Amino acid sequence: MVAYWIFALVSLLMVLAALVAVTNRNLVRATMGLVLVLFGNAVLFVLLEAYFLAVAQVIIYIGAIAILIVFAIMLTRHVGDAWGPAFHRAWAWAVVVAGGLAVGLLFWIAHWPAADGKAKSPVDPQYTKLLGKALVAPDGYVIPFEVASALLLAALIGAIYVAWGGRRVKGPYPQRSEEKEA
Amino acid sequence: MTVPVTWQDVAALLPEFFLVVWASALLLLDVFWIREKRTTAWLSALGFVVALVLAVGQMGRAPLLAFRGMVIADAFSVFLVALFALSGLVGILLAQDYLARNGIERGEFYVLLMFSVVGMMLMARVADLVMIFLALELFSLPLYVMTGFARPRADSEEAALKYFLLGAFASGFMAFGIALVYGATSTTSLPHMVDVIQAGEADLALLTAGAALVLTGLGFKIATVPFHMWTPDVYHGAPSPVSGFMAATAKMAGFAALLRLFVLVFPVVADLTPVLWALAALSMVLGNVAAIAQRNIKRLLAYSSIAHAGYMLSAAVAFADPHLGPQAVAAILFYLVAYVLATFGAWGVVILLERRIGQEGLLLEDYAGLSRQYPGLAAAMAVFMLSFIGVPPTLGFFGKFYLFRVVLDAGFVGLALIGVLTSLVSAYYYLRVVMLMYMKPGEPIVRREPRVQATVLAAAALTLFLGLTAASSLYAWATEAILRFG
Repeated sequence: MVAYWIFALVSLLMVLAALVAVTNRNLVRATMGLVLVLFGNAVLFVLLEAYFLAVAQVIIYIGAIAILIVFAIMLTRHVGDAWGPAFHRAWAWAVVVAGGLAVGLLFWIAHWPAADGKAKSPVDPQYTKLLGKALVAPDGYVIPFEVASALLLAALIGAIYVAWGGRRVKGPYPQRSEEKEA
Repeated sequence: MTVPVTWQDVAALLPEFFLVVWASALLLLDVFWIREKRTTAWLSALGFVVALVLAVGQMGRAPLLAFRGMVIADAFSVFLVALFALSGLVGILLAQDYLARNGIERGEFYVLLMFSVVGMMLMARVADLVMIFLALELFSLPLYVMTGFARPRADSEEAALKYFLLGAFASGFMAFGIALVYGATSTTSLPHMVDVIQAGEADLALLTAGAALVLTGLGFKIATVPFHMWTPDVYHGAPSPVSGFMAATAKMAGFAALLRLFVLVFPVVADLTPVLWALAALSMVLGNVAAIAQRNIKRLLAYSSIAHAGYMLSAAVAFADPHLGPQAVAAILFYLVAYVLATFGAWGVVILLERRIGQEGLLLEDYAGLSRQYPGLAAAMAVFMLSFIGVPPTLGFFGKFYLFRVVLDAGFVGLALIGVLTSLVSAYYYLRVVMLMYMKPGEPIVRREPRVQATVLAAAALTLFLGLTAASSLYAWATEAILRFG
């Protein structure tokens, strides 16, 4: 029963925070709304006993992605200025489409045979361990795991070159300012 | 419970493991110890030589599924891995002087190139849907960055951005397709998928939709019409050695995964045959017709590469026929060898004539009079152009011969006809380059860069002499490079 009330409270909070994220004209405040939604998501994962996902949610979405968004906002000019109208002029149509989609999804989920409100099998308490082992076991996913790390390394090198490398380039080929003069 | 890594597992991926370790070590060496970028280039070239030796060492072994069926070392993948190692070596030989003279030589370039080649090698090795996506990204991401390597030049940056955005879009198609294929067969392992499909347990409609989306994603990488829009701009804006490397190897990698999936796993989705037919026909027609109008040699080669993707795809149309599948694979592998040789050679000539990055020396008129001053270079370029057209006795002729034979055996007479007719059309713009070199007076300015010159001459010699002497034995070798699971 306690879990039920926590679920209701968190869901309500998430909906309100989502409204803030969408409607607030100040980008920083909207981001904070988004962070609150993501945090609520993590709480829901805890309620579902998916602890690993909850921690991953906090670390990846709140720890990394939200920070990234804040940085991106701070790096652009006119930080946090309310700019332009918050509503598109076709917002009524958007409401109709989104509402239709929501109703359709609810209808579909309500008639889904598996959705009788009860978990089919209790979560294996060992599942984080199993997941970890599967990722690095030679008979599991170790090769995709390692290829993914090579991929991230290559992406990192590339990103650093794209972001920084060009500034130190010297040589006979024209920089952009020279091209303008020419 | 867990099985330890066996030596067999490691042996199956030895060239890739070596290259990843070598590239990572080189990254550190380049930062802390190496003064001259030239040393980094030589060391990475050495890495490719070792990888080539390791790949050749894998030849003739029985097919081997490694790491619980994630990757496979069969004759097909070993053939391509050796070719990729060689291409990486050529890519470095072509790039080194060009980067140095344009002031953009940096150690990261060689490291990124090595990572890209590892991704391509894995594309040839895949035996699992998860691996296809990761390998695709591993070879694409470095290519995006290498395209923009001449930053802050605007056209290079623009090309990189276009390539990146459209590439990300294509990856999305690919991921969606992979999800649908998984949904249809409830497995990601390709050998297992074959069993599921043969047992009739797969959802065919879902599988066809998934295969079509995967084809879209791969069609982007091999630049077939209508997924070709990025090609001319990217090849034009990227530094020339990167364009040449991309034109040769990205197509190989795309075809590697395409053949493995369609010939081995998807013959059941024969519904897609008309789609492949249309893609091949459109690529051949549009690539060749659009190339006629080009005045810039880089754009001309870009459209020509679209047309060649069409030729190769025309043999892949026969994928659903169990008897012709292996023949189609052999014909495409053979054509790839011919295409890669001529492509590297032709881009090498472009690099030698390009004066400043992305500027003078790139128009067709700049090739006028080349035969007077540099007869060897002009003759080599003429060989590449003739090989692209498919004139005997170059390797390109045998490539087209084997391709069209498969197309005719499969009963697609119309497609073979389109192929032959568009080859005739292509003669117009390829021969115009030859005509300019030999008939028009001009004062072309050519770099003296021995590594690039040697590469060009070697490619020309191989194109000519393999065509004259060893075409049938090369084809026999390609025929042995069959796709197998276990």
